[in-house]
Amino acid sequence: MSRFLQQLINGLSIGSVYALMAVGYSLVYSIMNFSNFAHGGVIMLGAYFGYYYLTKLGLPFFVAFMASALTTGILAVVIERGAYKPLRERKAPFLYFIISAMGASIFLENIVIATIGPTFKSYPEILSRTPIQLGSVTLGRIDLTMFIISAICLALLVFFIDFTKMGKAIQATSYSVKASALMGINTDLVIIVVFALGGFFAGIAGVLFGMKYTVYPQIGIITNKSFIAAVFGGLGSLPGAVVGSILLGIIETMTSGYLSSNYRDLIAFALLIAVLVIRPSGLMGKVTEDKA
Amino acid sequence: MDLYYIQGILMLAGINLMSVLGLSLLTGFTGMFSFGHAGFMAIGGYTSAMMTVNYGWPFIPALLMGALTAALMSALIGKLTLNLKGDYFCIATLGFGEAIRLVLDNVQYFGGARGWPGIPNYTNFTNVLIINIIAIIILANIIRSRHGRNMIAVREEELASQIVGINVFKYKLISLMISAAYAGVAGGLMAHYMTFLQPKMFSLVKSTELTIIVIFGGLGSISGSVLGALVLTSLPEILRSFSNWRLVIYGLSVIIIMISRPEGLMGGYELTPSSMKKLFTRMRSKKGDLPKGMEGGNTL
Amino acid sequence: MYKKTLALLLVSLMILTMAFTGCSKPETETAAPAEEIIKVGWMGSLTGDQAVWGQCELDTVKMLFEEINAKGGVLGKQLEVIGYDTKGDPQEAVNVAKRLTGQDKVVAILGPNASGNAIPIAPVLEQAKVPDIATVATNPKVTVLDGKVKPYNFRVCFIDPYQGAVAAGYAIEVLGFKKAAILYDVADDYSQGLTQFFEEFFVSKGGTIVAKEAFKFGDVDFRPQLSKIKDAAPEVLFLPIFFKEAALIANQARELGITVPLMGGDGLPSEQLFTMAKDAVQGTYIVNHVDYDDPEVQDLKNRYKTKYNKELELNGYLVHDAVVVFVDALERAGVADSVKITEALETTNVKGVTGQITISKETHNPEGKDAAIVKIEGDRYVFQQKYSAK
Repeated sequence: MSRFLQQLINGLSIGSVYALMAVGYSLVYSIMNFSNFAHGGVIMLGAYFGYYYLTKLGLPFFVAFMASALTTGILAVVIERGAYKPLRERKAPFLYFIISAMGASIFLENIVIATIGPTFKSYPEILSRTPIQLGSVTLGRIDLTMFIISAICLALLVFFIDFTKMGKAIQATSYSVKASALMGINTDLVIIVVFALGGFFAGIAGVLFGMKYTVYPQIGIITNKSFIAAVFGGLGSLPGAVVGSILLGIIETMTSGYLSSNYRDLIAFALLIAVLVIRPSGLMGKVTEDKA
Repeated sequence: MDLYYIQGILMLAGINLMSVLGLSLLTGFTGMFSFGHAGFMAIGGYTSAMMTVNYGWPFIPALLMGALTAALMSALIGKLTLNLKGDYFCIATLGFGEAIRLVLDNVQYFGGARGWPGIPNYTNFTNVLIINIIAIIILANIIRSRHGRNMIAVREEELASQIVGINVFKYKLISLMISAAYAGVAGGLMAHYMTFLQPKMFSLVKSTELTIIVIFGGLGSISGSVLGALVLTSLPEILRSFSNWRLVIYGLSVIIIMISRPEGLMGGYELTPSSMKKLFTRMRSKKGDLPKGMEGGNTL
Repeated sequence: MYKKTLALLLVSLMILTMAFTGCSKPETETAAPAEEIIKVGWMGSLTGDQAVWGQCELDTVKMLFEEINAKGGVLGKQLEVIGYDTKGDPQEAVNVAKRLTGQDKVVAILGPNASGNAIPIAPVLEQAKVPDIATVATNPKVTVLDGKVKPYNFRVCFIDPYQGAVAAGYAIEVLGFKKAAILYDVADDYSQGLTQFFEEFFVSKGGTIVAKEAFKFGDVDFRPQLSKIKDAAPEVLFLPIFFKEAALIANQARELGITVPLMGGDGLPSEQLFTMAKDAVQGTYIVNHVDYDDPEVQDLKNRYKTKYNKELELNGYLVHDAVVVFVDALERAGVADSVKITEALETTNVKGVTGQITISKETHNPEGKDAAIVKIEGDRYVFQQKYSAK
């Protein structure tokens, strides 16, 4: 039993990493209807920004944390303006957005390799690595912190979306960009806000990832998993992204723990395929019919 | 200038071109986007390698076997996914592409994740060239035929095609199977060129590269795909002297191409003698107006 | 008829591009006359996980070539190194090998350091008849496949059967550990090989492997596997992997409450271990190629530190010996011809910083090299003893 609990905690630990990353994906998808593959690159840069703010500028942790998130938020908007807005204006099919996103992600990863270099950077030890013992189960301090921070951020996000005017504008735009524009909503501003939010979360995810593991240019690849989680939970649904991520984390960990870690990624993709074939809108996504 | 080295680059371009031709049929002419074609390359590659290494088959039959296996696999995948809406089909292909790679990672018979060295070096410049030419001829024939026109109809407006009586599902499936077969041949060529196979050679990165080439060359254009494959395969090698920065430039170029000229290099036109004639006529005529029926170069 | 013209047009296009790419490569026009320079290739990871090692190797080669050239070069000619990045990827390694032998026409290649990259380049070397001296590639298959030696592959380091036996022997006979757990990488030849040999030797000496878990290169989270390992209660955790994963694993192991010492092979020693996991790796035993405190290697260490202001990594020592072996073979061959150099390599017997290097004709491996066991204390690798497996 304790073994099961330990693996469960491991699952929650990785699930919360996925959750923060998946939220950014879902946010952008809900408005723009495409998968922003550049998100991984933004997360990776978040990790680097955090590292530099902490070490080179010597800022206190909380300030560095917020600063990274703000920087990545701005970065995400810049990417949107540069790589996606021109495509939106010529009403390009979504495939072109995806290609542009992939180009951006290759660009980001390699510009870091070319300038900063490929060696790994490590965050200074903010939280001690000695674990907390709960009976026979060990919980890492960083994990606990990540969990709490993720929960707070997500709660704030839900509050923002449900209870503020801008939040309602975002909801409206996610249903129909055209109709919202006709209603007088500044859809361009909404898109900027959504990307900024997505970037902000990416920054948080990046810093936490860097703290928990290490900082290197290929962090973006891990986000493929969070993408699966977002689809699993339902693209376009924020609670879905969180639920999907946690579940994916647990499923992956259980597979590694009880079967073999060789199958872990395979199960994740098998899950993706199963979801798409059986219920493409995922667990909690909107079921939209293609209007003829 | 060393011929051996250039031949190497051209061979790689030719191998990519095989896959790109297949993908061009699927994406450019039938309008479906796939991010999993590297998976079909992998199937073709491993199958053909198994035929040559373990069963001692000669090269061409082994390649054909690889193509067949890839096509069959795609039929299976197609049955499951072709009814999905546009972007979900895309994600499904991504899922399958990665799943194929992950399964191969675990099959120790094929060397698993560490790879399979020692495959005979059958691929050479001549057979890559000949196979590509044959492939192009076959593809051109398909597109010019009634089947090809049906596929283009599906791309333009799926619902209308269905109403007119075109069996949309059947044409999507045929398109997918042919594109998978082409990718399978490409995989076989790759295996016998590298003499080494490893599942991570066929990852999402490769699938993306292929799709980028198709878009770069221009959807709906065979000559565009040829040019795209040649340019985008040689580009990283030419840029090798810039080492680290070459991928930065590559990523940036992709974005710029998408923003400025998403219709790609050829923009849907083909490089044929008749279209070149029209181009020259238009350039020579002063006001640029041509008699009706002679505009453009769309090969339909 | 129509389609044939189309096809012909495309073929001519391909030929045109061939000519076009032919004209646009300025870097291949050699300015100096070819007879004055001997070109030597180098391949390794300049990007990717092992970049820090690759960079060190290339820098060391450049430093050594400068020193040699300053003293007049070899056979009266200057040595020039042409180095390319394999990105740690076997496919890229094959491409680079083709480029070095076909395009740059080098007489020999130094590196790569990773077995996973050294194994697939063999056919390229054979076709071009250019020898390769691998630096830290320890998998037996690099030089011998199915009982036959590969004519153009050589190396300057010991091999995994030996290394695994040393690790296992030291663990059980000197440290007295009878229960070991292994966590290895399924995607890597080096890791698989070392695991196999460690296990064989450990069990043959009476030990038990209580847990054997795997991960795949690229993973960053090892908690599921580590939880299983913890439940099996081993006395030592063997990590036949590279330093990045080892650092992550060490951190996560300590977070899960695993306190037993770690043990690893030559994939581990790197300065990066200290930046990433200093506290977690204290007390780790490593099977290494060289004792960093050996007085005989201090000179090389200092020259490197003076020139580059960084500590010399393990790879630097081994590539130094690869250079020594190459220069010696070149001198004995008397001419900068790759086939003659290969013949000369087969009878190498020189002294390097990692020991006496006597290349065996049957296996192209150095014979009788001792391993040095080091232990991590503070931020240094402290020499324990030289150990040979019996």
